[in-house]
Amino acid sequence: MLKRIWIIFLRDLKVNLKDFLSLYIIIVPIIIAILINIFTPSINDTTINLALLKCENQEMIDYLEQFAHIELFDTVEEVKKRVEKRDNIIGILPEAKKHYIMTQGNEPEVIVEYAKLLKTFYELDIKMDDTNAEIIEFGRKVPPLKKTLVNLSILFISILGGMLITLNIIEEKMDNTISAINLTPTTRLTFLIGKSILGIFFSVFGSIALIFITGFREINILKLLLVILISSILSILLGIVQGLTNDDVMNAAGSVKLLFLPLIGGVLAIEMLGDKWQKFFYWDPFYWAYKGNDLVLSGTGTWSELLIYAGIIFILSVIVYVFIAKSIRKGLE
Amino acid sequence: MISVKNLYHSYNNDKNYQVKNVSFEVNEGEIFGFLGPSGAGKSTTQNILTGLLRIQKGEAIVAGYNVRDMSKEMFNKIGMSFEQSNVYSKLTAKENLDFYRKLFDVPTRDSIELLKLVGLEGKENIKAGNFSKGMKHRLTFARSMINNPKLWFLDEPTTGLDPSIAANIKSIIKEKNREGVTVFLTTHNMFIADELCDRVAFIVDGEIKLIDSPKNLKLQYGDKLVEVEYVKEGEIITEKLSTVLEKDKKSLQNIISRYEIRTMHTKEATLEEIFIKVTGRGLI
Repeated sequence: MLKRIWIIFLRDLKVNLKDFLSLYIIIVPIIIAILINIFTPSINDTTINLALLKCENQEMIDYLEQFAHIELFDTVEEVKKRVEKRDNIIGILPEAKKHYIMTQGNEPEVIVEYAKLLKTFYELDIKMDDTNAEIIEFGRKVPPLKKTLVNLSILFISILGGMLITLNIIEEKMDNTISAINLTPTTRLTFLIGKSILGIFFSVFGSIALIFITGFREINILKLLLVILISSILSILLGIVQGLTNDDVMNAAGSVKLLFLPLIGGVLAIEMLGDKWQKFFYWDPFYWAYKGNDLVLSGTGTWSELLIYAGIIFILSVIVYVFIAKSIRKGLE
Repeated sequence: MISVKNLYHSYNNDKNYQVKNVSFEVNEGEIFGFLGPSGAGKSTTQNILTGLLRIQKGEAIVAGYNVRDMSKEMFNKIGMSFEQSNVYSKLTAKENLDFYRKLFDVPTRDSIELLKLVGLEGKENIKAGNFSKGMKHRLTFARSMINNPKLWFLDEPTTGLDPSIAANIKSIIKEKNREGVTVFLTTHNMFIADELCDRVAFIVDGEIKLIDSPKNLKLQYGDKLVEVEYVKEGEIITEKLSTVLEKDKKSLQNIISRYEIRTMHTKEATLEEIFIKVTGRGLI
């Protein structure tokens, strides 16, 4: 059985690596990860850019570097030119014994105010030690927007894994080869598992690539794998049934798109709706998968919490299977 | 090798059967032709025997396995060439055969050797999607031999092939049969059945009307006549003479010895004529 599963998987991999659409799906996690990195800078990058004169006041440069990105220039003219560029950068330049702030005039007010405060703190010699603020931390170590996008992307990748399965089954249907497979010692279960392996590998490796590229390297990968594998069950089941009930790629792609509704619904419920609305989304496996991933990505989820979520997702997937089992059996005949 | 008893099948699971009370036996080492027009129930029966369709009513034993409780191991012993080519269009001819080779538990034939056998030599690295219909059909036929089947189901094996390739396919079938392979041939082509089959079954509207050898059928249903066309005193004369009646036999000898014979044919019935006579139906 294992030999045949492997053979079917290798065949699909060979075909997918030659097929443009499949190849595109396979590299999507990398593209998503790069886009997330470009559009969501890390929390440490949430600061302002300042343009200063080189060798003018090293002490001030050292002080401001603690709180802002510093760019150094040789002359006032160069600083002026830099400030005039499209992005938001504030110049701090000497005049007599004081400093003045140079702006284009269209920078967000908060950035200008922040630059003014930094300059004032430096002039008043206020240090970090002087603060009396007490910090109560929620334990969140990662930027919320980035975490949300990565979490959403992991679920998206699992659906794409299902889509890969759909494409490979549709190929079998279009070539009418399922009947030929049925006349070999390959059981239908072996065939389905063989067809699903690529989707599972894609979900696992795509998600891990995403995690590493977006900088979530500190999380517990085993916990993440638990949630990915469990949430992949649903995508695999639906990928199989879409493949077996559709005769062409476009129809199947249209049907798979419907899966994005419960995915987005679950995410929006958690991110935007109040507690009293949450119960209306308990039926949605993506809701629980998103919650599980969120715990893993924030590094706060315990094994028991994740196992509970995994159990709920598994039960919901079994319920879905009960509904679609007949379609799967019929599609394989 | 095959034993079928009172087989029924309905696609809608009702009393409107597409296969009705079909019973027959195929002996080991014979070529058994299953003949009938399109929609007669040939493919339905074949699909039940190969497990592609679930058996509903009746009994069927194939290669020693009960179809109702079919073991996947049975497929190591059987091969099937489909009427509609079904190969992976994104894989090359060789990749197609190599893939299937690995799915069996028994020694398999070399892919290149099989491609050569069916006239696809030199085409092994071309994607099957770029093949003509006939080439795909030959690839499907080659694949059916990959596991050295003991029982070989052939569904219209020469359909769409040009005469020289069809002749090659027929000679492969004869050769495999000589090696001891039992062949279950489904076709509506009576010439192939006549040429290849040891016995044939006529099926119409899901019912078997007759089972016998082509030779017996011809003896039973053919007219024992000779039609002779000869020239007598500058005039062309055509006569039908019995090969049984003494008087006609003497007349025939007389014609042959005295006149110039233009044509002479025995009036043996073709399998197609017998089919029409027995079933009252054509084969299309």
